[in-house]
Parts: sequence; C-alpha cells; structure tokens
Amino acid sequence: MTDLVLENIGKTYPNGYQAIPSIDLSIEEGEFIVLVGPSGCGKSTLLRMVAGLETITQGDLLIKGNRVNDKEPADRDIAMVFQNYALYPHMTVRANMEYGLKNRGVSKQERHNKVMDVAAMLGLDELLERRPGQLSGGQRQRVAMGRAMVRDPKVFLFDEPLSNLDAKLRVQMRVEIRQLQRKLATTTLYVTHDQVEAMTLADRLVVLNKGKAEQIGTPMELYDKPATTFVAEFIGSPSMNLLDGMLTERGIALSDRLALPMAHDYRGAIKWGIRPEHLQQSDAVNGDFSLQVQAVESLGAETLIHGVLEDGAEQPNPIVVRLSGPHLPDIGSRMWLTAPLQHWHLFDAITQQRL
Amino acid sequence: MSVYFPQKKLPYLLVLPQLVITAIFFLWPAGQAVLQAFYREDAFGLSQQFVGLENFVDLFQDPLYYKSMMVTMVFSFSVAFLGIAVALWLAVMADRVIRGKMVYQTLLVWPYAVAPALAGVLWWILFDPNIGPVALFLDRIGLHWNHFLDGDQAMILVVISATWKQISYNFLFFLAGLQAIPRSLIEAAAIDGASSFKRFWDIVFPLLSPTTFFLLVVNLVYAFFETFGVIDTTTQGGPDGSTNTLVYKVFKDGFIGLDSGGSAAQSIVLMAIVGLMTVIQFRFIERKVQY
Repeated sequence: MTDLVLENIGKTYPNGYQAIPSIDLSIEEGEFIVLVGPSGCGKSTLLRMVAGLETITQGDLLIKGNRVNDKEPADRDIAMVFQNYALYPHMTVRANMEYGLKNRGVSKQERHNKVMDVAAMLGLDELLERRPGQLSGGQRQRVAMGRAMVRDPKVFLFDEPLSNLDAKLRVQMRVEIRQLQRKLATTTLYVTHDQVEAMTLADRLVVLNKGKAEQIGTPMELYDKPATTFVAEFIGSPSMNLLDGMLTERGIALSDRLALPMAHDYRGAIKWGIRPEHLQQSDAVNGDFSLQVQAVESLGAETLIHGVLEDGAEQPNPIVVRLSGPHLPDIGSRMWLTAPLQHWHLFDAITQQRL
Repeated sequence: MSVYFPQKKLPYLLVLPQLVITAIFFLWPAGQAVLQAFYREDAFGLSQQFVGLENFVDLFQDPLYYKSMMVTMVFSFSVAFLGIAVALWLAVMADRVIRGKMVYQTLLVWPYAVAPALAGVLWWILFDPNIGPVALFLDRIGLHWNHFLDGDQAMILVVISATWKQISYNFLFFLAGLQAIPRSLIEAAAIDGASSFKRFWDIVFPLLSPTTFFLLVVNLVYAFFETFGVIDTTTQGGPDGSTNTLVYKVFKDGFIGLDSGGSAAQSIVLMAIVGLMTVIQFRFIERKVQY
C-alpha cells in the first residue's frame, strides 16, 4: 500500500524563487527512500515540506491517503531527526523522549513503558537521566532517533542525521539506522548529500538537482543505468569518466586520432562514459587506448590511477582508473586499457539524457 | 585572555587614566563619605564633632529609614519584574515580525537613549493631574489620578517611568537570546505536538533563563541606584515619603535636610549593598547555566 504520495509538489518562495518546480513520488509502506543531491538542490526543503515546516505552494501531499498540505507538523503523524539533533538541552534524555507523548496526552505509565522499550532497543537505558550536554555525539544521535521512534509515527524523516559524526561512527550508525528501519518497517524519507550513505541505506533513491528529480530508482538501477550525466557523475566514487565524442558510422570518435568502434543508430555529439572500476589494464596489442599516468593513490585494497588520455587532442582528457589490489606504475609512464562494451554509457551531449 | 608586555612600565601607564578617574571621582568622595559618617556637622559646615557610630545608631532606629527600605524594595522589584516581563513579550513579538523588522527593533531601542531625568519629565507631563493626557483619560473613566496626594499612584508613576527606559535594554538582550535559540528546537517541539504557547513555556523560556537571571540582577541594580533622576523629576520622593528610595533619601537628607553625617552613614550602607550585589552578580553570572 502506498504510504506517502507527493503529487506535482512544488515550492515557490514569495520573492519568486522557485526552489522546487515539480516532483512526483509515491512511497510504499515501509520503504526507505533517500533524497540525495549536492547542497542547494532542494532536498532539505522537500523534506521540510513533508514535515510541515515549509509551506507547499503547489501540488498535493498525501499520507495514508489523506491530504495533509495544510495540516500542522504535529498533526501529520511524522517524526523528524534533525542534523543538529535539536535535543532540548534543559531536559533529560527521558524528558526529551517523552515530550511528544506528553503533549499528546499519553498516560504516565504508558509513556514510561514506551521510553523503556525504545531505550532498550537503542542502548540508552543508562543515559535516561542525563542531559544532552553530557552525551557524546553518537549518543545524542541515538537519543534523537529514540525521540522519533517513541512516538511510533507513520513516517520517519531524517535530515542529514549523520553529518555531524566522525567517519567511523557514521558507518556504524548507518548500519544501525538501516537495521532499525527494517525492524520497525516504518516508511522513511532520508536526506543526505553523501552518495555512499544514499547507496547503502536506500531501497530507492531520488537524485535531486536544482529542485528537479533527475532519476528515481534502486541504487543498482542508478549505478547501472544512470538516466543523465548528472546522475552518472553523482553516483559512484570516484565519479564516472565522461568524455566528449562524436557518434559516427565508424563508432565513437573521441578525437581526430582515437575512435572506439561501435554500432549505434544515433549520429552526433555525445558524452561517452565509463566507470573507473570498469576499465581494465591491458597491453599495446589488445588495448583500446592508452593513458599517461599522472598520479597514483594506493588504498591497499585498490589503487586509483589518475592520468590523461593519449588521444592527441589539444584539451587533455583526464581519466581515473580503479584497479583492485596494489599497483605501482611510474608517474609519466604509459598504461594500456580496455573498456568493455557492456559497461559503456552514452549520453546526448545537448540534453544530457541517456541514449 | 591575557596580553603580555615586555616592558614593565607601559601597562601601568596605559591604565593610569582610568585609575586617576576612579581615584578622583570615586575613591576620594567615597573616603570623604566614610569620614563624614563618623562626624556630626552643623548645617553651614562651620563646625564638626566626632560622634563615633552615633549616626548609624540613629539611622537604624529611625522608622523612616525602614520605610524607605521597603519603598526601595517594592520599587526595585516592581521595576525589574515589569521591565523583564514587558521586554520579553516585546522581544518574542519582534522576533516573529518578518516585514520591517529593523524598524520595529530600532524604535523599541530608542527609549534607552533618553536621559533618566527626561524620561521622568515625559511621564510627569503625561500623568500631571491638571494637564496630563493620561491623567485626564483616567479621570474620564472614573479613576481619579493625583500622584501628588496618593502614595500608591505616585509609586505607580515612578515605576512606569523607570521601567519604560529599562525595557529597551532588556529587549535587546532578550532579542539576542531568542535569536541564539536554534530554530530546529522550536521545529522539533512543533513536530512533538507542542502548541505555540507550550513551545514558549517549555522550550524558549527555560533556554532564556540565563538571560533572564542576568537581567534580573542588572535591573535590580538599576532600580536601586540609577533612578535618582526619574524620582527627582516626578515625585521628589513624595507624597509623604512613599517614593523616597534609599538613594533619593541620601540626597534629600544630605542636601535638603543638610544632615551630612546621617546622609553619609546612609551612603555607607548603600555602598555595602552595592558591594553585595556585585558579588552576587559575579558569583552567579560568571558561572551562569550554560547549555
């Protein structure tokens, strides 16, 4: 059953600035949806519109079939975890978690039971009488989640909840959030600018760019078949290599001297893309093209090689290759590569759409 | 923060002007007052007689002095409470204004730039029983206003005059305090189902408590010691001493009653109170609640 529906949702500020032109999205019950995009893409605005903290100037927002556009945040049956956690600093952890229940007239005994249940689930039992100021970043994060969970809302909203944590804790909390969400099966809308977080958490991803949904799909759909160059570059790290080329009857001409054979009906300017992990090391006989190595980043399990394409073009075309295991090519040396056809991505150079 | 100077003399030279001013305008007169408190002097200042602690004994046996103390308490706490309450209300309202925010805020700060005596005169004219528009209005709705005869009305008048000036100061602090509260806290409370009234009392007001406490002390000190001008221009301590605060009484006994010894003894008591309040201020405000 669909739980949360955004129909032609848009936001135009009174000064005429259009933050979000129009977005359609329907979310199934229990689904984990991640809104991802660079800063200023409107993802937080969209989340806050769902929460009721920003007005919706166009379209309909339905929660469980009810139009909630004009309802107060409190009446939408949602809970939100803020980037800075927004814990009430003068209240204990227990009071923080109880506050929403108290305002809704839940009895003292029931409040106590609910808080204890959630505290046990999150490992907060020991911290209930402390104040937020006495907690570490990770603990605060947990309390913020606890406060959202206690109310057992229809929808969870997360606004970049992990961005204030250090890298190690972030990974740990990421896994924990995913597990909790599976267990509770509560519909979740999660905002992040971190594509790794987005890929690992999401059932489906919404990639936002300038207030528009560039593509909506599962993480693997977005990885395998990015709909636009924006998605292609945004999903995956390091980003996909994208080169300008011309599609002719002989194949893809990347420069006057370098062409990759391919049969395609389209003719004209394109962008040719291949992910760094799909390039394979080869030799002068079998290689599709060669690279002049400029920098090597050894990460142990894998090696990133940065170089420029040796295609005789005036503008150097930078290329990143990701090889598994350790490799130590000399800076300035030549490296032959093959690009398997099944991993190519072609985009219209003008519309930036996938061909 | 500490700054270290390589030379030994320069730092002393730099603080010298301030020290000289303190010595001439504070320490010297204060010392004179201490001395005078132990003497009895005739009205023309021609003869002095050492009387020991007699001035203090007289002071603490004088029912008028206790009355003045009560008047000061009522006055100070009324000014502090009223000033804080009104300023907080104005700050909360001004914080919500979106259009013309600067205009509101500037207008609300203006009264602070008015000299205390002028503030007194302003309210004195407004409430004058013969020509004051407010007094005439009150008369029309059946409330006879004459602060020259009615001690309570006189108190109300000085409280209003003294508070009006202080509201601007309090307002600025509250506005800054409100703006320091993260918006997400209010939003979280809204999602948690708190009405705007509850959001204020459960979240905003407790978070402002350090500011409120600071202002309480500052306002009490203000009402105690800095309202001479307001009282002098409106009621001169009357009628029948009903607005005769401790500070005003020092002036009245010393310069009108020409009892310099008794007046000096009162000054010493006031100095002790200032000292005490300064200690309280430093002890509590320096380590005020931090969130």
